[in-house]
This record gives sequence, C-alpha cells and structure tokens, in this order.
Amino acid sequence: MGSDRLLVIGAGPAGLEAARLAASLGSQVLVVEKRDVAGGMPIHENYAALTHGFRDAGEAMSELISAATGHPNVELRTATEVTAVDGSVGDFSVTLSTGTGDETVDAGAIILATGFQHFDPGRETQQYGYYEFPDVITLADAEAMLKANNFVRPSTGEPPERVAFIQCVGSRDRQIGNEFCSKVCCGISSKQAIEVRQQVPDARVFIFYIDMRMYGYWENEIYWPAQEEYRVNYVKGIVTEILSKNGRLLVRGEDTTMGRPMEVPMDVVVLAVGMEPSLGTRKMAEMLGVATNKYGYIETPHGELDTVSTSVPGVFAVGAATGPADLDDSISSAGAAAAKAVALLRGAEVTV
Amino acid sequence: MSRAAPATTFAQRPGATLAPRAYEDVPYEEKLALWEEVKADPRFPDYLYGCYECGICVAACPSARFYDFSPRKIAQAAAREDVELIFEQMNDDVWNCSQCFSCDRCPRQNSPGGLITILREVAVRHGLASSQEALEGYGRVVYKIMTTGTQVSPDMLQPDAFPDWGPDVKEVSDQLDLWRRALPPETLHTTSTGWEVSEKTLLELYLIWHYSDVMDMIEEVDEGLHMIILDVMEETLEEAGYEI
Amino acid sequence: MTSIIPVESLKTKPFRVDPSEAPTADIREALFELEEAGEIIVQRVPEPYVEVMTKYGRTKKIPLGQTWHHKSCGQCGHIPGYSTAIFWLTRKLGYDYLDPKDQTSCTAWNYYASATSNVAAQGGVAMRNFAAAYETGYFPIIHCGTSYGHYKEVRQEIVHHGDVREKVRDIMSKLGKPLVMPEEIVHYSEWVHAVRDQIAQHQVRDFSDIVACVHPACHYYKLIQEDAIYDPDIYGGQRTATVSGLILALGAEVADYSTFFDCCGFGFRHILVSRDFSRSFATMRKIEVMKEEANPDVVITHDTGCVTTLDKSQFAPQAHGRNVGVPVMSDAQFAALAMGAHPYRVCQLHWHSTDYRPLLEKMGIDWEAAWIEFEKDLKRLEANEIEYLTWEDVDG
Repeated sequence: MGSDRLLVIGAGPAGLEAARLAASLGSQVLVVEKRDVAGGMPIHENYAALTHGFRDAGEAMSELISAATGHPNVELRTATEVTAVDGSVGDFSVTLSTGTGDETVDAGAIILATGFQHFDPGRETQQYGYYEFPDVITLADAEAMLKANNFVRPSTGEPPERVAFIQCVGSRDRQIGNEFCSKVCCGISSKQAIEVRQQVPDARVFIFYIDMRMYGYWENEIYWPAQEEYRVNYVKGIVTEILSKNGRLLVRGEDTTMGRPMEVPMDVVVLAVGMEPSLGTRKMAEMLGVATNKYGYIETPHGELDTVSTSVPGVFAVGAATGPADLDDSISSAGAAAAKAVALLRGAEVTV
Repeated sequence: MSRAAPATTFAQRPGATLAPRAYEDVPYEEKLALWEEVKADPRFPDYLYGCYECGICVAACPSARFYDFSPRKIAQAAAREDVELIFEQMNDDVWNCSQCFSCDRCPRQNSPGGLITILREVAVRHGLASSQEALEGYGRVVYKIMTTGTQVSPDMLQPDAFPDWGPDVKEVSDQLDLWRRALPPETLHTTSTGWEVSEKTLLELYLIWHYSDVMDMIEEVDEGLHMIILDVMEETLEEAGYEI
Repeated sequence: MTSIIPVESLKTKPFRVDPSEAPTADIREALFELEEAGEIIVQRVPEPYVEVMTKYGRTKKIPLGQTWHHKSCGQCGHIPGYSTAIFWLTRKLGYDYLDPKDQTSCTAWNYYASATSNVAAQGGVAMRNFAAAYETGYFPIIHCGTSYGHYKEVRQEIVHHGDVREKVRDIMSKLGKPLVMPEEIVHYSEWVHAVRDQIAQHQVRDFSDIVACVHPACHYYKLIQEDAIYDPDIYGGQRTATVSGLILALGAEVADYSTFFDCCGFGFRHILVSRDFSRSFATMRKIEVMKEEANPDVVITHDTGCVTTLDKSQFAPQAHGRNVGVPVMSDAQFAALAMGAHPYRVCQLHWHSTDYRPLLEKMGIDWEAAWIEFEKDLKRLEANEIEYLTWEDVDG
C-alpha cells in the first residue's frame, strides 16, 4: 500500500512553514489543527509584536497562513483532532475527529508541530500570588494588553507608574522540575519593556533577572535599545515574593549587585513565564509512541546533527514540541523536517 | 583539631554579632579537613547543587535584614569550595542564621540553612572558638534538653534572664507552682520540665545520646557541661544495669 | 476598566493543581516500598480521617481521633494554654486521644540553636517517639511546628539515605524498638483545619467583628513544603490554607499584610541568647507592619516559637512607645474561645503578655468575671482542697 501524503499536526508557525515547504517540494500535505483558527500561539495568545523583529504578529501569521493554505498541495483542517494513529513509516493510518464525526486518512510521514504552553504561575516556588493579585500578570497577559494598545493596571484600569518584569518564572527551577531555560523570555520581556515605555512613556520599567540570555543579535536589537533608548532598569537579582501594600504591589528581592535586600512598590508585575510542552505535544507523543524527555518534550535522539527526527521512523518533530524554541528556531526546524519528510516519501535514503 | 598555629587576628567585620573576639587562624590543611567533613555529611548533596547568585534566599532571610549575613554568600562560598572563606563563615556568620529555612525556595533547590546546620555541627564537633562563644550562656539549655528530654522548662523563665519581657515574667515565676497545678492536662503539672516524661523514656533518650556520639560533641565545646550531663546519665543508666 | 482580553478571565479561574505534575516523588510510596522490603513499619492513619489537599495537589489523611499528642517544649513550658486548648477541643468534639508521658521533645529547638547533635541522634529521638506512639496504637499528632518540620527532615534522611537508616536502626535495636514511621506527619493545626467546620458548628461566640492577621510558621510550610495544606479557595491556592481556613470558618476577617511570609524572628538560639534580634525582627517586620496596614485585633499562628516571639517581644517596644500591642495566640486557643472555652481555665491566657483583654471584650467575654472564677480555682488549689484543676472543673 503506502502513502505519499505528509501529515502535519499543528498549524502554528512551525507546522505552517513545514507544510508550505513540503508542498513546494511537490508533496501532498494535510495540516490538522485542533483549534478553530490557524496561527498557533501568536494568534491564540494575542501576541502584539514578534520577538525579535518587532513585526506585527497578526500580520506575520496571516502571511504564513496564506502562504501555506494558498498552495494547491496543502489542505488545512481546523477544529480537527488526531485521535488514533496506526501503522508505521510509509503507511500510517490516522483517525481525525471533528465535532461531527471521525475520518481515517493515510500518511507516509508525520510532522509533529504541537508546540508549547505557557507555564502556569500558580505552580511557581516563589510567592508571586498570580492567583491572588490582579496586577500580577504573565507575559501572555501583557502581550494582549500591548496588542490592544492599552497597557494598564488591571485592578484600576489606570496606566501604571512602575512596572516590573520577573524572569525565569517556571524555568531553570529544580523545585518545579523545569530545569531548562525557556530561551525566549529574556527577549520577550525586553521587547515588552520597550513597548510599555512606548505606550506609557511616563512609566518606569524594571527587569529582575538571574542572567539575561540575549544571545546573538538579540543583544543589539533588543537588550541595548531597551537599556540605552528606553531606559529600562535591569536589576540582577530575582524577586523572592510579592505582597500587597497600600494598594500597590510590594516586590521583595535582593539587588545582588548592591548586595542588599530591596523592597520596592510596583503597579504591575509581569511574570516571564517559561514554556512547557503543550497538552497536544504530550498527547501526540503518547499516541505515536515517540520518546519524550523528562520534561515531556519530544526527544530528537539522533544527536545535534539531526534536530527533527524522533525515535519513531517517519515521525518528525519541529518547533517548541521538542523544547523551548523561538520563532527563528521553529521556522528553521520546520524547513529541515519538511526536506527530510519529503525525501522519505520519495523513497530516498535519509540518514538520521 | 589542634590549635597549634600562632594566633592571627582576623579583622572583625561590621555587623558581626559574636563578641568582638578574634578567632585563631589555623593551617590551610586544617580548614580543608573541616570542609571535607562538611562535604561528607549525608545531607550535603541535597543541600547544595550550584548557585545562580539570584539572591532569592536573601530577601527571604530574617538574619540578612539584621546582620551582615547572606545565605547567598554561604551557598556561593560552598559552591566555589572557597576553604578560607568557609572557615571564616564557620567562625562567625553561621551563628547568625535563624534556621527558619525561608531560603529553601531556591530555584536550584539549595538549602543554605541546611548547609549552615552542617557547618555549625562540624564547628561544634571540632570545638571551634566560635561554637564555644555562640553557646556561651546556652549550656543550661543543652543540659535541660539532654537530661530531661524537654527544653526551656517553666522554671527557667525567670525575670533576670528575660528582663525585656516585662513584669509578666516575674508574675509567672512567682505563681509558677500554683499556675501549673491549674492546668487540666495531667502531664503539665511540672515546673522543671515542659511536661512529665517517664523514667523509662529518659533512659532510652540517654542511650540515644550515648550511641550517637553526641556526648563527644558536647565535650568539645564545653567540658564542664559534658561532665555534669554525663553524671546524670551515668547514674540513671547504671541503675538500669548499663555500663558506660 | 476597559475589557482587556485574558487578564480578568484568567484570574477568575481558580488555580487547580494537578498531583500528576508534582515535582517530587510521593514519599509515602517510598515508605510503603521500605515496608514491603521489611525495612520499616508504616503506622497507618486510623479511621476516621479527613482528606485534605497539600501543596502539590496530593491528598493527605488527617486522623480525627485515636491521636497520640506529641507535645511541644515551648507550648507546654510557657504558653500551656496552647496545649490545653488542643486537648479541650479534642474532648469537646468527642475524639479519643492519648497525652503520653513516654514522649521526649524532638530536641530540634536545641539542634537548630546549638548544633550539639547529629543526624543519627536526631533520627534516634524521632524514631523513639514514633515507636512509642506505635506501641500504644495511637497516631502521632505533632503540636510544634519545628517538631513537624524536623520530623519531615528526619523522614527524608531515613528514607533516602540507607546509611542513616542503618545507624538509626542500630540505635533503635539497642533500645529494643522497631523502626516505625507514621504514614503521614501531621501537625495539630492540620487537625484543626480538618475539623474547622465542626468547630464552627459548635461556635457559641460571634467573631464577625474580629480582624485577625495570620502568621504562618516557617517550619510548617517552608521546611519540606509538600506536606503543608493548600486550598484553591484560600489565597487562590498560593499560600498555605492552614490557620487562615479556620479563621474564615469562624466568620472572622483575615487581614493581609505585606510581611506575611516573613519569619517571626525566633531564631532558635537568638530567642535565648541574642534576643535583640528576635525582638527587633518581631516588632519591625511583623507586629508594626500588621498594625500599620491592618490594625488587627489579634495575631493567630500555629507554632510555639511564633506565639512566644510575637507576644513577648512586644513589651520592650511598647515601653518605647512604638506602634505595637496586638495579642497573639494559637489557632487552637482561638477556636476554643469560639466554642465557649474559658479564657483562663482552658486558654490560660494569663501566661500571655500582650494585652488580650480588649480582644476578649470584642468577643463578648467578660474577662473580669472569668478571672474571678479562675482565682477561686487558684484559692482552692492553694488551700489544697483540690490537687490539680481537672477537666471536670473546667467543664463544670
């Protein structure tokens, strides 16, 4: 039997890009997306501008969506879930479920582009009171306000005078079990800090960090402008706890450079929550029997020279399904997976 | 450990809490041996992984607000295995810690407070001057807990020892026998112990001290105290047919 | 405010913690494995018990009766109404308990103060007490926050370090005792939390005008965090629910303040030999902050050391005209007062320093009449008409 169709699970940036490329290389591609709309987290979570290029997220995603769906070889099905997978490389049989019924399709290869979810700060080891104080928000919450061009204190609706970002919430934390760096939060916080200063010019903005991880061009594109043009204050020292005092948030930590405890009032505190494998990533990994690491991300066990092949032949994983990834990484891995998958479908020997 | 090395005065740092008395320097090898002993404690691997220098422990730390004390520096010195600095800390800083374990929220899962428990224990085991100083005025408490199985009994709450607690202390102390009898639970009519502990229980407690080398630690920090406790223990144990 | 996309809706959703995501292994499973291997005996929580949720969403069994009361140095020594109130509550709710003499202190106050002990000795002391409880068939319930915290540490060491386990086993065998670990390490305030609705049903005094600040004990929820009780409906599941849950159940107001997570300043050695630290910290970081931000009628806490430090430390600053003067008591005493307990015969408030009388008045208690009653008891004791004040005297 056999099938020369490529199935892409997940229509976020990585899934869309993998579909577009595989289609351009001549393969038939079916993209399945659980949500009602394509575009992944940037759309679902109302991202404002993309990190690192500051491009409008909605506009960029629309471009990616139309590039994929505009290709005659690509079929996109939203509001559709993968509920069963049988078979093996070259001959997968996949059950798709919608609200109205099930359908079985065949596929020769599968790309998992099921992505991440934001860490739920209810589980942090610090005492930040996300579920207690309305003015303690996450990067995603802040992103939504920035997109609406209405960055305010949620408790009052007034523009904040003092805004703090706290890095590494739910990342690099042995007690939570997320020992990894989520890679993007330093950049996103700094990007948002710039946007807050643009939208609320009178606000003072602070970033409390353990290490600022602004690798490559993020340094001069985001970090330096944040400090030099937008006068964002970077304080080395992580916040210990947040409580309420006189109607404002009291942020308590150590200014480690100065070597002393500090207590400062804030109007809005943004928790730079990290990434965790999405529920879809966990479910698909289990259904397909692909190995995951101890954090639940899909493993790419073939070493650093193959970043997209999983433990199951014919199944590839891209983007943040394999670990924290920024947009650039996700798009790059999508290309690699598309090329490998198409080669496989054509019967070419692909060294993994 | 021997204290043969010539006395070298370490400058007292501002905020140091122990009596302004210099402690003696010792050869590097002796400091290293102390550190090796700290690392050999079975708890050590659970108390120190690595340190981000994030300071999350410092803002949570009550002692850091009052003293020149930083749980981050304790963890960092240990992580760097800075034997000289650790020796300095064992001779001073470690006694400032409140042992509240507020620092246990470390993202690396370090426990600076737990590390200090070990550092103190090694300081005591080797009778470092700091442990002797830190425990000055504290011998009665050690005596009480080790010989009676309860700590700071009702009759230790005397006005001369707690002048800052106001006149209530005197009233309690004046009325102590009567007020203790006015307690409904039968085990609380005691004045020289927190509650009534049976003799068999005490005997078992003494055996625990005996079999776990605690008495040797006491001897290092306070020979007089060691003798008094040993007297009490021996009498009870010998009556019960144990030879010490 | 203008409707901003997910911020509001997110916060209205209660935090639900999923035990399958717990970052630690469940130590009770390790205990059962050791039991299976014949290494230890696990004393089971007797029925009936109440199931409560802990930090990582796991379920913890809190025994209601058949409890072996592991008493506390400081409670029994200096604020005995604390222990008396716990026993009184247990009796009033009709549960069987044992107040053993075959119990020593956990000795952790001394250990955290002076370090004149070691892992084997501390393990020996803990396991001796647990074996003593096991011999009676009653389940240990621990009065002191530090004992509770320290026993959790000992449990970690005994479970995870075979060499420590063998050392302690060796000591125990010389005492002729088996190695026994209770299935759950239970603090009395968890029992109070578990029966708070029963306490509220028996409430006879109106607490709706009472404003309380809570001081949670460090060794209860910071030292081995995972055993502490959390509840999504209290502080959004972000702080321990113990103590606060009781106050809310009794209809009083829990007032927040900005040093909630701060330690009381006890310091173990500091409260005895460096009290300037304890006093300053308790005053400046706790009581004055509460006064300024919440002006509470009372501070409720659940550990001996915390009650002592927060209460006794107020005398000196008050004499210097500082903004202090908030009575301090345990959740057990507060609960007992709600259920109609005598402020002196049961709650023994005359052992406390900071003026509690305005609070009693607000609770509708005639403390002058109560004191006259208690003085009559004292006279009878003085005249040796009775040897001790008994439970019958209290209830009569």
